Amino acid sequence: MKNVILLTIDALRKDVLGCYGSQGGLTPFIDSLQDKCIRFTRAQASGPYTQASFPGLLTSSYYLEYGKPKGLSPKRTLISEPLKRAGIVTAAFHSNPYLCDYLGWNRGWDAFYDSMEEEVDERIPYIKGNVINSQVDKWLSSYTRAGEYKPFFLWLHYMDIHEPYVPERKYIDMVDPSITISQNQMYNLFKDVLLKRDVSDEGAVKLLKKLYDVHVREVDGYVKEFFAILEKLDLLPNSVIIMTNDHGDEFGEHGGLSHDDKMYSELIDMPLLFYDPARDKGEVCQKLTSNIDIPPTIVRLFGLEPVANFQGCSLLPLEDYPEKGCFGEAMNQRSQRGGDIEKDSYFYREQDLKVIYRANLDKWEMYDLKADPKELNNIIDTSPEAEELKEKLRPRVRRWLVK
Amino acid sequence: MAEEDKVKRCAELVEKSKEVVREAFQRFKPDELAITWTGGKDSTTALWIIRQVCLEDKIKLPKVMTIDEYDSFQEIHDFMNKWAKEWKLDLEWCRNDDVIKAAGGKLGAPVKVKDLNKRNQAELKRIGFDQDTFPFEAESYTGNHLMKTVMFNMYIERHNVKAVFQGLRRDEQTARTQDDYFEKKEAAHLIPEHVRIKPILHFTERDIWDNIMINKIPYCVLYEQGYRSLGAKTTSQIAVPGVPAWEQDLEHTVERAGRRQDKEQMMGRLRKLGYM
Repeated sequence: MKNVILLTIDALRKDVLGCYGSQGGLTPFIDSLQDKCIRFTRAQASGPYTQASFPGLLTSSYYLEYGKPKGLSPKRTLISEPLKRAGIVTAAFHSNPYLCDYLGWNRGWDAFYDSMEEEVDERIPYIKGNVINSQVDKWLSSYTRAGEYKPFFLWLHYMDIHEPYVPERKYIDMVDPSITISQNQMYNLFKDVLLKRDVSDEGAVKLLKKLYDVHVREVDGYVKEFFAILEKLDLLPNSVIIMTNDHGDEFGEHGGLSHDDKMYSELIDMPLLFYDPARDKGEVCQKLTSNIDIPPTIVRLFGLEPVANFQGCSLLPLEDYPEKGCFGEAMNQRSQRGGDIEKDSYFYREQDLKVIYRANLDKWEMYDLKADPKELNNIIDTSPEAEELKEKLRPRVRRWLVK
Repeated sequence: MAEEDKVKRCAELVEKSKEVVREAFQRFKPDELAITWTGGKDSTTALWIIRQVCLEDKIKLPKVMTIDEYDSFQEIHDFMNKWAKEWKLDLEWCRNDDVIKAAGGKLGAPVKVKDLNKRNQAELKRIGFDQDTFPFEAESYTGNHLMKTVMFNMYIERHNVKAVFQGLRRDEQTARTQDDYFEKKEAAHLIPEHVRIKPILHFTERDIWDNIMINKIPYCVLYEQGYRSLGAKTTSQIAVPGVPAWEQDLEHTVERAGRRQDKEQMMGRLRKLGYM
């Protein structure tokens, strides 16, 4: 039986990857893996920010499924739990405070590292990818030292693309040596432009995107380094690696920055790659898929019975994956604190049609992603399919209120 | 590992540590140095090694500082007092009494920022804390800064300390894998300039216990009860009840899992990431 590895990259936009059509040259290593990968072209995150999407990625359930979100509900099944019960060794390494021990994400892991005890700098307020790698290296080396070992499930998550965008000079030089601003200036851009969601200065937004791109290039290097660790420990031939994001990031496409509660492609479109060294050629899957399908796929890869509490379907084998729509939801994070919990929004996508509903504004939108990939032309009043899609999304709206 | 291999390995590890300590004494006078001691297994090991070097080379043992975060175990106090006497340490307990007073000496009690002295108020401002109250918890974001960092800084300033010995291990704080045995801290936002010397950086948790057993280094009784990592009393938890730390599966489980996490720590991180 193969080991399964889930490698997630925070805030990684799908469209910056060469294997998804970018010409930017930011991901040479990930691109080089394609002949051993299944590449999913229509994968959707179940939420536009970490707390909204990770329930999908690790518990195959939706963000607002179990009432008003606070911490990980005990009603959710974390992927680590059934695996551990089945005798698979489980390990997690990340540095995202929304997924920490305190919020309950440590359930079911044999090894769980969330970095919350470390001191971090305000400009790099997380543990960097190379340090996550060295943690993983240490754990894998120790775990596999004896030679004979039970299969493992490893989840690792890189934070380096997440704001503040204050990349190191060596990575800037790899992407665009003409960027000469100091780290102080980069940090000021974060405080004065990004945090204020101020898109009025086009040049500043462009510069933020450039700095973001530099971090993408940096993370591609960490992925390469991680593969080298697997190779060194002779684990690459018997591991399957699922690579994806939790959500994307916005640079003014819909009037904002960063990742709030919007449901447009720059946040919802997921890169999703299944790397399997046993493949003799790359494959592309154009079916519409969701991140809630990842936990059932992992269970399937270990040959275990499906988990009743998981709402997704196994993506493997590809030919058995059903044609279905995708949902996503969010609740305005900023308003949560102020007590206004009703700024919730939802989306439903079927084929290339997407409806979005903002409950607090009672506002519907609809986009034809094929004709209008940038989602600028709202066709809710003209599309003959609008009513049908709205009907499918309606039962999900505010269902968390009654729970 | 066979017993004689362990003995050999520990001798090598200690020898490497002694080299670091001797280099420290080359670079600094004993009066410019201080040893940080928590009573935990790591800093006690470091202290023991430094003391060995001082005995062997007839050097005055540098002064020792410990931070009393108030929320602490009596067992650790007893252990430290006993060995401070036995080893004739010049030990200073550093405690932020102003914060304790403002909390009425009660853990978890709300501390009003306006009840604090000027220095503590300024320190809160420095870490970007802009609210009126915070709960008195040593391992919270604010509590950690006032009870530990500020006390440390004041000690450094008061004694003109140029370098401190720390019982930090590389495998415990892997975030700092790049660190060397001598880490120069420039005067910055939150700290005065000093050098951190880490003589036991290359020890693993297993090495620490092997070495403690082989060299009969004293340790706090709490480790026998199953604690693996000792921090503040209310946030440290027994990792495996009744199983001494050195008999636990140190290789496959996380050392710090026994420490409860703190909400403010998480909030501090989230703020830095641009949330809240």
